[in-house]
Order: sequence, then structure tokens, then C-alpha cells
Amino acid sequence: MYQLMKKFVTKVFRDIFSRKKHVKLGLYGPPNAGKTTLANRICKDWLGEEMGSVSNIAHETREIQIKEEINIKSNGKELTFNLVDTPGIATRIDYEDFMKSGMDEKEAKQRAKEATKGVIDSIKWLDEMDTVVVVLDGTKDPYSQVNITIIGNLQARNIPVLIVANKVDLRKSNTKKVQAAFPQYEVIGISAKYGKNIDEFYEGLFALVG
Amino acid sequence: MPHQCVRCNTLYDDGSEVILKGCSCGAKLFFFIKKGKVKEAKELTSEFKLSFDEKKQIEKDVFDLVGSDIDSDNPVVLDIESIRVLQPGKYELDLVHLFKKDPLVFKLQDGKYIIDLVESFQNLRKKK
Repeated sequence: MYQLMKKFVTKVFRDIFSRKKHVKLGLYGPPNAGKTTLANRICKDWLGEEMGSVSNIAHETREIQIKEEINIKSNGKELTFNLVDTPGIATRIDYEDFMKSGMDEKEAKQRAKEATKGVIDSIKWLDEMDTVVVVLDGTKDPYSQVNITIIGNLQARNIPVLIVANKVDLRKSNTKKVQAAFPQYEVIGISAKYGKNIDEFYEGLFALVG
Repeated sequence: MPHQCVRCNTLYDDGSEVILKGCSCGAKLFFFIKKGKVKEAKELTSEFKLSFDEKKQIEKDVFDLVGSDIDSDNPVVLDIESIRVLQPGKYELDLVHLFKKDPLVFKLQDGKYIIDLVESFQNLRKKK
């Protein structure tokens, strides 16, 4: 019995002290801004594998996805974090929008339901994050209710934020406009799809966390 | 604070036994309406004329959303200010409310009838 107790106590202590604390880095933003594309870019760059599937139809990511222990290096510095890709946050989810992209009604309604649950999950997970990268679509108007609500809530929770204006490869993208909308934050214009300015993004990450 | 049955639109007072047992029409999903918002809720529910099947579908979807079994005896109350299900597959979410961590859904059990959604989602995660 004594041996058993001793074993148990040793195990508990080992578990407590061996658990490494890793920074949880969350990717947040509206649907179709490129959160998963960026997650895939980070994973491909540092792990050599992709994280999740991407689609032109909104709400492709409907469940929280986690990649653990991503180790990135920049200018001789090192950073290890757990990457959390979240479902896009929206105020209105309508299955008819998905049907316009060629989905059948049943599938579209199922997607709408899962997307709604995804939004709730994303919000519930916010408190678990140590740092958040807000991924915005640089071709769209940055002054949306979703963007302002996400960033305002991160600020209220004192979570460090880096804003990424994605899709600089598209002519319509306007990083300056995003920067003007959120002047208190650093905004980095990138193309997650083609890797443009991605080094600048990693440097920004180091500046934020490191 | 009144509750409205999603299926038959009947309004019940807060603390009404019906909410614990389920509505007389057999439904177990209620919209939770804040005082002073009753009129708005009535307008909303009359604006969308939903068929019985659509209402049944909404009930099923909401039970799925909160991870509860529709055949269980526990009624579910949906906070209309945080989440609106206009028709099956059409949702409106009030982010400000959701971020404020206001309880989204009240699950009713044995006369204890407030369980924060945060808790139910954590339970859901544990189950997975």
C-alpha cells in the first residue's frame, strides 16, 4: 500500500513539474480571411506538413484545430508555441449562402449548424489564448462589426495581438486601410497563400511573444 | 422573465413548472426572453411563419448545438438575445452578448435551471 501511495505521489509530482508551458497562439478572424491558409503556411514552414483543409466556401473550419509544439526560429531566436486555428467568427450564418456555392440544401444546413457551433467554440476558447493573431481579409472593409468586436474583446482581456492583413497578392487588398482602422496595433500585410512577407510576420510574432 | 415555446409560441412565466417539464404541446425547447423584450420577441416569431417540420428541425439543431439529447427529459432554453434561429439553417449571432459570456443556454434539470453554457461546452469537450 505504502509503495503504491509513493508511486502515485511521485507520478503526480512528475506530471506537475514536467509539463512544459507552451504559449498558446490563436488565429482568429472572420470567415474566409485565410486563418487556415496561414496555419498551413506556418506548419509547412516549420513542421513540413499542413494543418487543415481550405475552401472558397466560407466556414470550412468548423472545429478548433490544434498543432502542438511548433518551433520557429528567426534571427537566432527561438519560439515554441501551440497553434490554435479557430472557426471564423460571424454574426449571421445562412445556409442559402452555401447553396449559392453549389452545395445541396441538406449539406448546407448541416454546415450552417456546425458553423454556428464553431463561432461559439471560438469565443469560448478565447480565454485560453496567450497571444492572438487576428487574420483579416485585406481586400475587405476592415470596419466590420466582427473585426471590431474581436479586437475590442482581445484588448479588454489584455491578450497581445498582432493583426495580419491577408491576401496582399490580390490587387484589391489595402493594408494601409487596415492599419488606419486599428492604429494601436501592428498590422502586417501578407499573402499566406504565396508566402509573401511571411518573414516579416514571423518577426512580428517574435516581437509580440519573445 | 418569460419563456416562449418554440413550437407553439405559448408564453410562460419565469419559474413556471412547464419549463421544467416541457410544454403541453410536447416541445422541450424554449426561447428565453428578457422583460421588456416580449413585444420584440412576439414580432420576431410572427414574422417568420414556420411550418411544424421547420420548428422540429430547429429544435433538433439547437439540441445538437448544445450537445443535448432531444429525447432526454431535460428542456433547453435558448437565449434569444445571443442567438437567433430564424429558420433551419439560418442563424444570427449577437457577438457582443456571446463575448460577454452571458449564459447562452439554460439547461433545466430537477428544478435547478441555470447551467452556464461554458460548463456544458467543457463537458462536451471532455466527452470527446
